[in-house]
Amino acid sequence: MPLADALSFLPALATSPAEPEADAAALNRLAEWCSRYSPWTAPDGADGVKIEITGCAHLWGGEAALADDLARRLLRQNISHRIAVAGTLGAAWALARFAAGANRPALPGPGEERAALAALPVEALRLDPATAAGLRRVGLKRTGELTPMPRDALARRFGAAVARRLDQAQGLLPEPLSPLGEAPTRRVRLSFAEPIADPADLARAIERLVDDLAARLAREGMGARRLDLAFHRIDGRVEHIRLGTARPSRDPHHLASLFAARLDTVDPGLGIEDVILAVFAVEKLVPEQAVLDSRPDVAASDMAPLLDRLGARLGLAALGRIELRETHIPERASIMTAIALKPHPRRRHGRMGAAQKPPRPIRLFAPPEPIEASWLLPDDPPFRFTWRRRAHRVHRADGPERIAEEWWTEGGSGAADALRDYYRVEDEEGRRFWLFRAGLPGSPPPRWFVHGLFA
Amino acid sequence: MSRPTWRRASSLSALRDQIRHLEEPARHGVLPFGVAALDLSLPGGGLALGAMHEILGAGGDEEDGAAAAGFAAGILARLSAGPVLWCLRRPDLYGPGLVAHGLNPARLVLVTASHDEEILWAVEEGLRTGRASGLAAVVGEVGRLPMVAGRRLQLAAERSGVTALILRRWRNAAEAAAERDRPSAALTRWRVAALPSADIANEPGIGRPRWRVELRRCRGGAPGIWDMEVADATGHVSLSAKLADRSTAPAGLDTEPQYRRAG
Repeated sequence: MPLADALSFLPALATSPAEPEADAAALNRLAEWCSRYSPWTAPDGADGVKIEITGCAHLWGGEAALADDLARRLLRQNISHRIAVAGTLGAAWALARFAAGANRPALPGPGEERAALAALPVEALRLDPATAAGLRRVGLKRTGELTPMPRDALARRFGAAVARRLDQAQGLLPEPLSPLGEAPTRRVRLSFAEPIADPADLARAIERLVDDLAARLAREGMGARRLDLAFHRIDGRVEHIRLGTARPSRDPHHLASLFAARLDTVDPGLGIEDVILAVFAVEKLVPEQAVLDSRPDVAASDMAPLLDRLGARLGLAALGRIELRETHIPERASIMTAIALKPHPRRRHGRMGAAQKPPRPIRLFAPPEPIEASWLLPDDPPFRFTWRRRAHRVHRADGPERIAEEWWTEGGSGAADALRDYYRVEDEEGRRFWLFRAGLPGSPPPRWFVHGLFA
Repeated sequence: MSRPTWRRASSLSALRDQIRHLEEPARHGVLPFGVAALDLSLPGGGLALGAMHEILGAGGDEEDGAAAAGFAAGILARLSAGPVLWCLRRPDLYGPGLVAHGLNPARLVLVTASHDEEILWAVEEGLRTGRASGLAAVVGEVGRLPMVAGRRLQLAAERSGVTALILRRWRNAAEAAAERDRPSAALTRWRVAALPSADIANEPGIGRPRWRVELRRCRGGAPGIWDMEVADATGHVSLSAKLADRSTAPAGLDTEPQYRRAG
């Protein structure tokens, strides 16, 4: 019914525009908040949240107590809800929507689940409306009526979805829950009887969590590489501090100081009720020992605190090292690698004899920047080119140096481009450029690029 | 509050010491260039360590800072062996090119950040941890270098003894024009411009690449301009042989371009 018609029937009708995106974002936030119960949570459809609580319920004193706690907290956030706990995702979905009441979670006991499910309408099987209507048309109204029927007949008549959904609900087919984001490998949680908001309290909470985690990592001989500290606010929002470390670490002081440095980015709102520290990546970390190695290597241990501080603010991806490779492909000869990677033991750095090799630029553009060039003979460098809207007149040039390989075809612009002729040219100011011509002379005409600048 | 007079003399001399200390720019030692003309212009006979130095590009290179990077690489190559923190917007440094000017790229730790403020913060962090992290130097490529930020860097460098090189790299000509001559807290300000290469006898093509190195500002030193050969594979620069017959006036299209084949 169009809105105008509805309003003509009921002028006092309260309306609000649909905002599916905002709704989805809010649902996502709610699912994230639910991670206080289990690391495996995800939004489900447009109106649900699924939580895998296997192995988590006992922390709350059983499934009923967990459902109770969840209901209480949702109520406080003014979220109306229906909660069901079941052995399969399909059964929980069905029970939450068709059996649970506003203040009455559906919690069938271990043996009652199938019976509870059988009484539900066929719509509870997560079918599309047309399929459900088809079932109703032939008199199949309850899921229990479908159970004794042969699966292949069901599938032939109503589509494979009916049989699959039925089996999933009854646990005959597995249905894994793909969690929101990545599931952590280790997780420690601290809950507060009263919500806290004072930064000093939060800092103390961080210290306790980090101590717990460090003790656990020490027992396992591991060090954390990627961590996420989640602050669950009482209004259902979750604030995060995510960080990575340059080297695996389990030093509580070090980790706590990294988190503390970012604590000002956390808005506690009206208060924080849970803090969860999750570790996503670990690496073996043997007990520290003195390193008798005085190479000027960036992996030197004393740089780690500095790198972690830089990484905590700028992101670990912002840190890198230059690694030289023995290849004639310019882009691959010098690559930026992650700071944390240990240098390849057999790879020698800085042994490239600069004298024997053709000169290479000090700055390299990635990707190469196209230029407009004018040239006379097919094998000649340009006598003039325009780069960044500035004309350069070539006074001297060296080349060509032909570099051919398949890398260019990965970009998919034709086999003719697989060949590059590089020229080192000097303009009238004395600036020295590294130009190349992609493709052979002829038609289509080759294109010119500036790839780098010489010092 | 009454001040005890007996303390005045000693506190005065302490103050004098402090001032002398502050005015002595080279208390962490210097790094000579090995070129008499340059070293004589610098207080202490070389580039002061534990201080901030600015390096500017020239012409179109003010945006890319290629010559500035080469000049910096030559300096870093001759500094004590140790990691160098190089903070910049885009990691466009090319390893083989650094090697050509004497700098082993394995010594570099690149830090990329999109804003000048973050780059300056990273530079300051590097300078602060200083010797504890074993850094030989910190390089920052920034467009804007506000006076206050510059002073903080200079102080941090003085305190830790780690040398800071600030490469000024501007996004466009307008920014360059606005920032180029603004004073800063750096101890020295260099400008490095590419010069047409020097001819090699009987060889067409590009000869020995050269720079025009200009010491524009130097606390306690004398500004000057030198034409030099670019830093070699050991990081050393040398005065260019006398500008012989090559005219620096731009030649027209009618001059025969000089090409050399290779590869």
